[in-house]
Amino acid sequence: MTNTLASRGLIKLEITRALRNRKFLFFSVVYPVLLFVIVSNTQGGVPDSRLSLSAYMMVSMASFGALTAVLMGNSERIAKERESGWVRQLRLTPLPGRGYVLAKTASAAVVSLPSILVVFAVAALFKGVRFAAWQWLALSGAIWAGSLCFAALGVAIGYLASGDTVRPITMIVYFGLSLLGGLWMPATTFPQWLQSVASWLPTHAYAALGQAIELGGAPHAKDVILLAAYFLLFAGGAAWLYRKDTLKA
Amino acid sequence: MDHMTAVTFTEVTKSYGDVRAVDGLTLDLRPGETVALLGPNGAGKSTALDLLLGLRHPDSGTVRVFGTSPREAITAGRVGAMLQSGGLMGEVTVGELVRLACDLHPRPRRVGDVLSQAGIAQIADRKVDKLSGGQEQRVRFALATAGANDLIVLDEPTTGMDVTARQAFWATMREQADQGRAVLFATHYLEEADAIADRVLVLHRGRLLADGTAAEIKARAGARKVAFDLAEMDEAVTGRLRQLPFLTALDVSGHTVRLQSADADATVHALYGLGLYPHNLEVAGLGLEQAFVAITEAEEAKTR
Repeated sequence: MTNTLASRGLIKLEITRALRNRKFLFFSVVYPVLLFVIVSNTQGGVPDSRLSLSAYMMVSMASFGALTAVLMGNSERIAKERESGWVRQLRLTPLPGRGYVLAKTASAAVVSLPSILVVFAVAALFKGVRFAAWQWLALSGAIWAGSLCFAALGVAIGYLASGDTVRPITMIVYFGLSLLGGLWMPATTFPQWLQSVASWLPTHAYAALGQAIELGGAPHAKDVILLAAYFLLFAGGAAWLYRKDTLKA
Repeated sequence: MDHMTAVTFTEVTKSYGDVRAVDGLTLDLRPGETVALLGPNGAGKSTALDLLLGLRHPDSGTVRVFGTSPREAITAGRVGAMLQSGGLMGEVTVGELVRLACDLHPRPRRVGDVLSQAGIAQIADRKVDKLSGGQEQRVRFALATAGANDLIVLDEPTTGMDVTARQAFWATMREQADQGRAVLFATHYLEEADAIADRVLVLHRGRLLADGTAAEIKARAGARKVAFDLAEMDEAVTGRLRQLPFLTALDVSGHTVRLQSADADATVHALYGLGLYPHNLEVAGLGLEQAFVAITEAEEAKTR
């Protein structure tokens, strides 16, 4: 219990630090909004969907922004701080080991919420996207909660990669998942074989949560289960890599 | 709980592959002691400190800190440590980082006190990424002293500091020791061990080679150098010189004799007893550095 209290100090400082980092804020908050404005300028709907392109891309870009915040926020910092010895220094304090990962994820989540809400605000104010109040709430909640899956992936990459390799690895994973998962353009525009690959990616399931809510329903069981399975896989991998790193000292 | 010892190593062994970094190490540290850990590179100093702090686990043997496991002692806020390999968090100020260390400690000291004692109050607003090597060391020291620890562990704390900074650092360190805290520090600077430590441990190939006060270590290596000239010098005289009591080393060149003695008074007294009349007699203390070299060289010779 005292350790949970102790973690608060680190969480507070990690959040201060994340909000101070302009480059990080730009990529996770401003960048998705810019992309949304550019992409949604095209008129018309999405093939095989009853949603307008603006509504569809709003969910995609909110998901993309949250993904950026949690994935980048965790992976690069963890890898760099392992290398600099800060993680080792923290192990000489009463902070429990998982407190570090918790603080990283919490600060990433604090940044990911504005990246979701800002895209929503721009969509509602300038692109005429309209939903019922419960839908806005459900969308925010689902996209925010779903980002946990990628936070775990970020932790895993942070413990897998070295300080030099973490950026390229993160970028490949990040762009690969964003593009193939259909966050940048509807996956329905892909050739059939690519569509079937995409439908199994965590980012595809992630965006599908929001799209189901936009259509007025609950998220599909397949998407929820898929995302939960990926979460368990990433979190299990992260825990295993974390333990391995601890034994190495 | 055992209050009698701060740290107990019992038959501790740790290997990396074929290399035995720590080999059957047994030692006790008492509360309130200032102890220097000496040893050549690769002697196992860093590994011993890692084991003491629970960063590594022994292959066999046990490490207890204040009667508990190292991790429990750290969680209870009894141990503060400053490691060479310990990095600092970037993108925050010195003040914020020290405040974090105080927040994390179950028995924290006041942030202002920690900053001023470590001599970094005037750079509290500076970003951690923009510090000099010596300033970084002071910040690490502040992190190690953020709470009311009973034991402070320092791995080569003055590396990267100039002489003035080093002296200031040890003055601060003495304040900590004077408050009844045990201090264990590994160092390359033997004069630091000589000047500061109550007790010196010499580690060599993962084993404890010597354990005592700096004076005792020096005595063990042949604490004093004696030099003099003899007017008459031949085989018989050299033979008689070899009989001198407490002699640990003898070097005769021409008419000049240089020897090392564990008890210079007794040796010089015996010199006259042999009927020899030395001129230009000089008796000088052997530095800890020479004592250290003598002890480790003797050990190297044994293992060869």
